[in-house]
Parts: sequence; structure tokens; C-alpha cells
Amino acid sequence: MKPLVLMIEDDPQIRRFLRAALAAEEYQFHEALTAEEGIAQAAARQPDLVLLDLGLPDRDGLDVIRGIRQWSQMPIVVLSARGQEKDKIAALDLGADDYVAKPFAVGELLARIRAALRRAAPLAPDGADTVIRFGDVQADFEKRLITVGGEEVHLTPNEYKLLQVLIKHAGRVVTQRQLLNEVWGPQHTEQSQYLRVYVAQLRRKLERDPARPRHLQTEPGVGYRLTLDS
Amino acid sequence: MASPAEHPPTDETAVDFAETEPLRRSASASWREHGLAVLIVGFVTLIALVLRPYLAATNLAMVYLLGVVAVATRCSRRASVMASFLSVAAFDFFCVPPYLTFQVSEYEYLITFAGMLVVALVISAQTSRIRAQAVHAGDRESRTKALYRLSRRLSTTTRVFDAALAAAEVAQEVFGAPVTIFLPENGRISFRKRTSDQLLISTAEEEIAQEVFDHGRKAGKGMKRFPDAAATYVPLKGATRLVGVMAVLSGPRETLHEDQQHLLDLFANQAALAIERTQSQNAAADARMQMETEEMRSSLLSAVSHDLRTPLASITGAATTLRSQGEKLEPAVRDELLESISEEALRLSRLVGNLLDITRLESGMELRRDLYPVEEIVGAALQRLEPQLAGREVAATVPEDLPLVNVDDVLLGQVLVNLLENAAKYSPAGSAIEIAATATPAAVQLEVRDRGPGFAEGEEKRLFEKFYRGKSEGVRGAGLGLAICRAIVMAHRGSIEALHREGGGAIFRIRLPLDGRTQ
Repeated sequence: MKPLVLMIEDDPQIRRFLRAALAAEEYQFHEALTAEEGIAQAAARQPDLVLLDLGLPDRDGLDVIRGIRQWSQMPIVVLSARGQEKDKIAALDLGADDYVAKPFAVGELLARIRAALRRAAPLAPDGADTVIRFGDVQADFEKRLITVGGEEVHLTPNEYKLLQVLIKHAGRVVTQRQLLNEVWGPQHTEQSQYLRVYVAQLRRKLERDPARPRHLQTEPGVGYRLTLDS
Repeated sequence: MASPAEHPPTDETAVDFAETEPLRRSASASWREHGLAVLIVGFVTLIALVLRPYLAATNLAMVYLLGVVAVATRCSRRASVMASFLSVAAFDFFCVPPYLTFQVSEYEYLITFAGMLVVALVISAQTSRIRAQAVHAGDRESRTKALYRLSRRLSTTTRVFDAALAAAEVAQEVFGAPVTIFLPENGRISFRKRTSDQLLISTAEEEIAQEVFDHGRKAGKGMKRFPDAAATYVPLKGATRLVGVMAVLSGPRETLHEDQQHLLDLFANQAALAIERTQSQNAAADARMQMETEEMRSSLLSAVSHDLRTPLASITGAATTLRSQGEKLEPAVRDELLESISEEALRLSRLVGNLLDITRLESGMELRRDLYPVEEIVGAALQRLEPQLAGREVAATVPEDLPLVNVDDVLLGQVLVNLLENAAKYSPAGSAIEIAATATPAAVQLEVRDRGPGFAEGEEKRLFEKFYRGKSEGVRGAGLGLAICRAIVMAHRGSIEALHREGGGAIFRIRLPLDGRTQ
């Protein structure tokens, strides 16, 4: 059965093209126009993914994330306006899976939806896929072996952990806070400079041109995203 | 600006006015002069007594005449006339036999007396006339000096209140009395707009000041109107209107004598003209600024409306064509129209983003600074521009050992995006673009270099102005990109400049100071 998407969006024009795009990809979908209705529909319909606009007429979109996350880990992709990095970070830290900044191309949105659904898919439990490839990089987590173009690359324990976390969230943006929390632990979530230095080192070891990264990408003001296909 | 409160309070200014008195002559001075005259005549008499055995009486008269000359050069005319009579009397009493009596033994002495008196009086008159002229010239000189000082102070003031303050201060020095200037507010003398608090304001004084302002005539102490007031009030008459009132506070029993009144009028006149001039200059500056604002607003409106309408027109046109003739169109044409819709929409989105950015930056947006590797910011910018830079060689040179920079990553990224976008827009498709970072001990420098036509000589500064578009033809844009760059770099206390590139093209160079907060 095709995945069910719940879109919580008040603007009729945006709903219109989302509907067209989702139908073309053969997703099933439901629509909700307010935050209240959205939370209720999420509980009633149990969708596979929620597409959430942050600017809703009745309540803050962030409330919807909070409401849903109380009882469900269903993927949530947020639609936000450009330049509101604070909102994006807040949404991601509350447990949203990803965001797309308006205006966006439908292709970008569909890629985000696919990545979010992939994470939630029960078919690929953590560790099942132990060899990951992107670009020249091959990461074998069972053997703890990272190679670039066939050559073994030595990563420090923290770099290794960082790569693991990024691969776990591959295709999705991860906030600096989330990365710090997962790699260094909850007491280090404010030390984002560390993180940036480690990401820079990782890029130098894995990317062909670290100033033009193909995979380990920066989302300015928000966090990082590892894209496997490029 | 010195506020009125900084001036000494009222009771402390009950100073001894004799202390500061360049132009004032009082009764006590007159008494001193008469005393001096008597002393000199006494001293001459002593000399005459010593010389009496050796000289003829008529020659002793000469000694007395010398005394009169001495008095006349130092004292007032009245004192020297008194000295003349006193000298003749003393001569008769001490030097003409019989001594110690006014009786005269020989009548020919009467001629001596008469001659002596006439000569003494003439000396007195002439000397004091010369002296008066000298004093007058001195007065005139100090008055000229005072007026010169005033005009010099006034010429440097740009604000009305400062002009009033300067005039009051100079007047205070010259008159040796507290001077306050009141400026009007909505046609009434305002006690909130006065240069000092020295004048104790009672309702009565307030009314006098207002009266003087309303009628434009002097009043107050020593005048016909309001002789009992604490101060002399002079209207400040400009060339076209009254600009305020000047009040000179004098001691309890003193009034300003004629010379001072005259000087006061001159002062008031000059202060009034200066205040009026400042007022009209300010009004002119305000008008100019308003005009410039208007001009900017209209150029903004025309730029924005043009740049908003053009893509909207293409979108509307393409969309309506597709809707009404969609089936009749070749698939390739349909694709073209669809592409122009999405491209123009993106352009519109960029423009709106730029307008929002510049508005936010100009209203004092807060920077969210932290330490970032330059490489990451460069990388994120290149990533964002991948579609626009496709098919070009883009070389990014970022040394590994570059220090972290303390910046707002989103905003600095925007600077790079704008510069790269510009480079792509203004240089031929397929030409290379370079982006290079270097470090100096005090700053990190970022350069974006292209091989486009560059910019015209003299445009270096103007490029960064809002709504300024380079002279290149066929390139569309609102002229905001570089203005945003400059605003962001300035907010980081950095600098940005445009340079001509050797071999053709432009270089945009950003310097970000390290201000000791890097690793």
C-alpha cells in the first residue's frame, strides 16, 4: 500500500500543488487546515508522514510537533519560510525530521519525504545495512573500516562516531545540537565550535574538495546533512 | 550640548559684580580718584616747601602745574579741576608771602594766580579729553574684541540652542553679569528652552520676557517699562522675525550705563542674526534631507516595482498561454514556458529575499556570531549556488591553517552568495570564477574574482550603493546584492572593496578583522 501523507497547511494554493505532486507520486494524502485539526487527524489517521506548515492560523506549528511527539515517532517534514533559521532549529530539536524552505521545488520536497520515510521504514533496522557507499567513500561499520577510493582512511574515535551519526540520519538535516548530543553526550550540546572543527576534519579526509563538499553538506545556521547520492 | 542644569544655580550667582567689570565705572572709583588728586597736590606742596628757600615763588607755581598734569593724566576731569583750584589755593597759602595765610603781599601775585589757574584748567581739560579719547578707543577695542569673539563662536554653531548658548556665554563674560537667552516655542517664550537657570523666574519676570518678545522692545531694569525688574530684557531681532529674548541680570543697585546698553544692543543684534541663520540653515538641511529621502523612496519604488513586475509579467504570460493554448503548443515550447515560470518565480523570490534582508540589516539586525571555519561558509555558499554555477570552473582556495572567523554564518554566507551570483551574472558563461581566502595577523581576507568586463573607473564606491546598477548591458537586477554585502560586512566591522583585476575582470575583497577572538 502507498504511504499516507497528512498535510497540515492552511494556504489553498500550496495545498493545491502539493496535492498534485503527491498524487503524481501515488502517495495517499489527507489535508488539515489548522493545528488543532492536524493533531486530531494525526491521531485518527495514523499517517506514515506529516507535512507541516509552521505558519498556521490557530496555533504555532511547533505545538503540532510537540503534540504528535508525545505519542508517536512518525516522520514530520516541516515547511518553513526562508530566513527563519531559529524556527527550523526549534522544529528539528522538537523532533521534526527535516524541513524545506519556501519557496521550494517539488523535486526537493519529494526527496526529503523519501528520506524521512526511509528512516522510518521497518525493513532496514539499524546495522542491517553495514556497508554504506557515497562518492569514493565506503564505510563498513562491522569491520570499522573506512576507505576512500580503496585507500583506508584513519578516523579518530570522535570522527568515526560523527560519521556514524550522520550516516544514520543520511539524507536528513541534523541540527548541531543533535549531533553534539549523539556524539559527545548531552552535557556538550553548546560546544558547536568543536563540532565544526570535527566536521572540517572529516571533510578533509573524505571529500575530494573540502571547500566544495558533495556529501557532507552544511545547512547554514541549522546543521549538517549527509547526502549519499549526488 | 550643555544643559541649562549645568550652569551654577541662582543663588551662587549673586557675585560681586565689581570683580568682573571691564566696562563699568562706579561711585567708589570716583572717590578714589578725588582722593588721589588731593594726595598729589599735598605731595607737590611738600616739594614746594622744600624748594621754597631756593626758588622764586613764580617758579614754584610751575611745580604745582606739574602736579596738575600728573592728576589730569590719571584721574577724571572733575578730579583734575578740583586739583587745579586746590593747587592755586595751596600755592597761595604755602608759597606766597606772607606764608600760612591767603593774604597776598604784592598784588602782582594775583596775575600769577589767574595765569596758574587758567593754565591748570586748560591742562585738565585737554589731558582729560585725550584720556577720554583713549578710554573710548579702549572701550571700542574691547567691544570690537567682544563682538569678534561672539561672531567667531557663533560661526561654528550648527544648532539653534548652541548658538543661543554661545551668545549667552560671551555676553556673560563681557558684561560680567549672568546672561540668559530665552527661545520661543510655538510663539511663546519658553522656559524649557533657555540657556541657563541663572535668572530666578517669577511669574512677573516671565511676563516681562513675554511682553518684550511680543512687542519687540527692550524693557526691565533701568528702562521706562518695568524698571523694577531683576534684569534687562532685550528682544533678539533677526532680519525677518523675533527669535528670542536676552536677559542680563545685574546687581541690586546697578543699572547698565549708556555704553553698555549700546553694546548690549549690538550683542543682541548679532546673536539674533546668528540664531536666525542657524534656524534657516537647519530648515534648509531638513528640507534637503526630506527631498533626498523622497528621492530615495521614489527610486526604491520605481526599482522595486519594475523588478517585481517584470517576473510577474513573464509568469502571468507563460501561465495564461499554457492554460488557453496548452494543447496547441509543441511540447518543447510548453517546456520552455514552464521553465520560464519557475525561473522567474525564483528570481522574484530572490528579490523579495534581498529586500527583506536589506530592510532587516538597516533596522539594526542582531548578528548571531560564532566561530566558523571559512571553508565551511565558502562550501555552503557554493552548494547553494550550484545551479547558477553549473558549467563553470570554480576554484576555491582555502588554506587549512586559516583561523576560525567570528561571524554570523548565515549572513556571511549571504555575502559570498551575492558576490558569486554577481560574478556569474556579469562574466561570460563558462568563464572561471575564483574564490580565495588568506590570513593576515589581524584579519581574514576573502576574494571573489571573475573574468567579466569588470566595472568602470570611478564606480568602485558607487557599486555598493543601494539600487545602483553597473553599466553592463543586458544584466537584470535590482542593485541590492552589493549593498547587502556591504551592510553585512560593516555589521561585522569588516570592509569590502571592488578592485580591477589584472588581465580583465573584477575582484571583490572582504576583510574580516580577527579582533583576538579566534583560535
